[in-house]
Amino acid sequence: MASVAFDPAPAPAPARAERSTLGVGRLTLAHLWVAIAAFAVACVLGVWQMWARSPLEAPAHSAANYFRAVTFHGVSMAYVLTTFFIMGFGYFVAETALKRPLPAGRLAWAAFWLALAGVLMAALSILSGSASVLYTFYPPMTATVWFYIGLVLVVIGSWIWSGIMIAAMMGWKRAHPGEAVPLAMFGTVANAVMWLWTTLGVATELLFQVIPAALGWVDTIDVGLSRTLFSWTLHAIVYFWLFPSYIAFYTLAPRAAGGRLYSDTMGRLTFILFLLYSLPVGLHHLFMDPEHSTGFKFIQMVLTALVSVPTLLTIFTIAASLEIAGRMRGGTGLFGWIRALPWDRPMVLATGLAFVMLFFGGGGGLINMSYGMNAMVHNTSWVTAHFHLIFGGTVVIMYFAIAYAIWPTLTGRVFASARPLRLQLWLWFIGMMVMTLPWHYTGLQGQWRRVAAFDYSDPMIAAWGPWVLLSLAGGVILLVSALLFVWNLFTLHRARAPRGVATFDYAAAVHPPGRIPRALNGFAMWNVFVAILMAAAYGYPIAQFFIDPPPQAVVHRTVAG
Amino acid sequence: MHGATEKKILKAELRWAALVAIIVFVIMGAIVFAAVSMHINPPSNREYIDPQTLHLSGEFTEGNLGTRTGPDGQVTTRIITTQFAFLPQCVVVPADTPVTLRFASPDVIHGILVTGTNVNTMVVPGYVSQVHTVFRRTGDLLMPCHEYCGLGHSQMLATVRVVPPDQFRPGPDGRALCG
Amino acid sequence: MAGAPPPADDQLGDPIDPRTLDRPWRIWAGLGIGTALVVGALLAFLVIPSFQRENAGLDMWTAFCRAVGITEGSPAYRQPVSDAKAAPVSQVAWSPEVLTILNQAEPDQGARIAAAVCSSCHGQDGVSATPDLPSLAGQSAASIYKQLHDYRSGARAHPLMTPVAQQLLIPDLANVAVFYGRDAGPSMGLGARGQSARPEIVRLATEGDSARRLPSCNSCHVNGAGGPIETPILTGQHHQYLANQLLAFKNGERRNDVYQRMRNIARVLNDEEIQALAEYYQGVR
Repeated sequence: MASVAFDPAPAPAPARAERSTLGVGRLTLAHLWVAIAAFAVACVLGVWQMWARSPLEAPAHSAANYFRAVTFHGVSMAYVLTTFFIMGFGYFVAETALKRPLPAGRLAWAAFWLALAGVLMAALSILSGSASVLYTFYPPMTATVWFYIGLVLVVIGSWIWSGIMIAAMMGWKRAHPGEAVPLAMFGTVANAVMWLWTTLGVATELLFQVIPAALGWVDTIDVGLSRTLFSWTLHAIVYFWLFPSYIAFYTLAPRAAGGRLYSDTMGRLTFILFLLYSLPVGLHHLFMDPEHSTGFKFIQMVLTALVSVPTLLTIFTIAASLEIAGRMRGGTGLFGWIRALPWDRPMVLATGLAFVMLFFGGGGGLINMSYGMNAMVHNTSWVTAHFHLIFGGTVVIMYFAIAYAIWPTLTGRVFASARPLRLQLWLWFIGMMVMTLPWHYTGLQGQWRRVAAFDYSDPMIAAWGPWVLLSLAGGVILLVSALLFVWNLFTLHRARAPRGVATFDYAAAVHPPGRIPRALNGFAMWNVFVAILMAAAYGYPIAQFFIDPPPQAVVHRTVAG
Repeated sequence: MHGATEKKILKAELRWAALVAIIVFVIMGAIVFAAVSMHINPPSNREYIDPQTLHLSGEFTEGNLGTRTGPDGQVTTRIITTQFAFLPQCVVVPADTPVTLRFASPDVIHGILVTGTNVNTMVVPGYVSQVHTVFRRTGDLLMPCHEYCGLGHSQMLATVRVVPPDQFRPGPDGRALCG
Repeated sequence: MAGAPPPADDQLGDPIDPRTLDRPWRIWAGLGIGTALVVGALLAFLVIPSFQRENAGLDMWTAFCRAVGITEGSPAYRQPVSDAKAAPVSQVAWSPEVLTILNQAEPDQGARIAAAVCSSCHGQDGVSATPDLPSLAGQSAASIYKQLHDYRSGARAHPLMTPVAQQLLIPDLANVAVFYGRDAGPSMGLGARGQSARPEIVRLATEGDSARRLPSCNSCHVNGAGGPIETPILTGQHHQYLANQLLAFKNGERRNDVYQRMRNIARVLNDEEIQALAEYYQGVR
């Protein structure tokens, strides 16, 4: 590895005092501020929820308030923060990586307003108490129809985004025949294509089952089918969330470290493997369900093992890329390059912290995937801890780093100092570890999830108390970090922030792609394979509900409690 | 020259990919081994039961709930999960004996686990959820509902009392109660 | 270097056909995905069930069917059988047929029956003047239907209600229920209740008690929040009637609550709490 010859990284462009000339600047900022606002509110609620579950007395503590909060927190973090961030960042990548204006800009704005209307509709429904069904909204428990319509509007907005991303890439390819699509955009469009496949499950569930039930058009519902359709979306959506973070790993972190991307091909292959294997694995969320056979659960477990491959490949490739940078900076010996890396740069720091959390979170994922071990942890706090660590930790810390990286270009200003940025990232890392590690432990002890109040007079539950308090402390640290994040970004909107660089560059690969097979430059072939995989993995598991329909359950419509 | 380093990078990536493949194989192998040697399966049971008329059924009528030893000696425990309680709220099972637990719900999705054991399953209306296990440790174990089922979810709890096999004494009809 | 047009020739000078670049990808991808699916399917449907079926005494075909999910049971264990006889505590089950009976009920016919039969005890306007007889005005129609049906079938017994219910036809049970339930709706909020000076009683009603495994009363009895369809509305009901019912559940006199939902709750409440909760729900200050 040490004998790779290449050109040193280009020197950064000289600072120019001009406002941002980015066409998508306002569009991206609008999306990201909606995402951040939802995130901040959800963080406050999250702390209250942990307080309510702890041995301490929390104010306004009632089951109605608790499940209202959990629903709001889950919908904000899982649907609003993510979708709006991904849309905004996607528009940014489309313009900066392809170096051409975004097509259909007005349509993009229409999608934004539509999605925002959906968010408000869902938020008001939840606050009214008529939608305390959590972000997973498993029927036959049914919320007010406005909740579901709100979510549908968000999804439609994201579909428009997906179409614009695909159109942008196709337009670039027509203008650059035979050339490799820039990796950041390739990843973004892989995500968009995957998202279109992903949302089919929940859209079908909502349009054909849940919304008719909520409207009172039907009185019974096939619960197994709805859970299965939701599972189609439920796993792939977490890969939808992690794509920007992986795009940052491949196209931002190596440059920030002062090095190059070890292998552009591996980046493309990673995105393709996510597209293929994040979808036909949703049944692993239903391992403990009776309605699916052992055989199909096993097949989807095999496919889940395959979806661990792109992450493992990424760890190697990004570590190698950072090693290049470290050795260029004088690092020697087996691990000296690690110390030599520019950890003072937020993107580099975030990448390192993300990888530490990926070790724990990814390890937890391998355990969840093995259904024998899954039986020990299903629906315990282990699961909650796992996804907070892997998503809230690894993925979201990279969202922060991406925001810090692109905000100067979006606003035309620069950060006066990187110290508050680094502080915010460290606080997030520490808070996340302190919150989730004890949570994994209490889950293994049997602490179950989605509980508004524990009986701490029971000695077994009382033993969990100190760990719950430790998690709460971690949550408070996270809240401080979240508020600092908002503040850090806000400072660049203030008049007194120093003006600065308006260009944005992505990492270069050690060997930039020259001629490239269509397989690594587009998704036509891969869509065929996705269809084959979905037919094999989900074909009969869904068809069985029609071939041999099970008894239906009566719809339980919740109203304000 | 560029071609040479490109090959070097490709070889390094392939070596790492081989290592990844080995990791994946080892994990899958362990799972297959557990399936084959210890009969570890996820709790699947595509057995239908109508949730709307559940209390009218034979197997899940109130008087048949709880633990029962069948004429063939098979120990079966039947439990109803409903908003917001289990019935029975306490079941007794013998240790070191194969036990089959069967659950049904007349209303919404519930889920159960038994603390300290590998008993864990969702209870989906329309199906009989079934778990096969052997309890090793004696004592009172907690069985909470672990899937959100409504505002009373937090208080939905039951007890699984594991007794030594010689203390497990079903009555003449095969039923054993917590006492 | 990114962005420069690619060379038209490969290093040997031959022109590059994009299809030749793609073919190895198609082949390897197809092989990889195909192998994963085939190996997974073989293990899932044949290999593992063939090893597991002995424990259950199954032949290969049955084990295969269980692994695919076309027959019930696990490939590794015997399926239990049950010869239990049904002995339901109530004949009412909320199938779509029964819901249809309620949906198609005629409130005017119900009004006639109410005036002729019910109002003498339950009050002209459905508001009972006697504290131990329940008011019916605004009560959930499903709840009234079930109780009438239970009186009729003997699941619930009362010297006055049993003969009254037995003389009504099933559709009339629904007509009466829907007539009284016309004004039923979501809880009116805390104006009519929630005025207890005792925080622990309010807590029982709104929070429950985890130590006694008691869900909050509101988690079912606030209309639509949860619980079976027959859950009655408690708000504004005579507290003496409510207390009598809880006591009847507690001592087993009343047994028509399916799956002992109310019996289990009443058993862990003490008599004093029962009185206080009943007053809380009537709205006695």
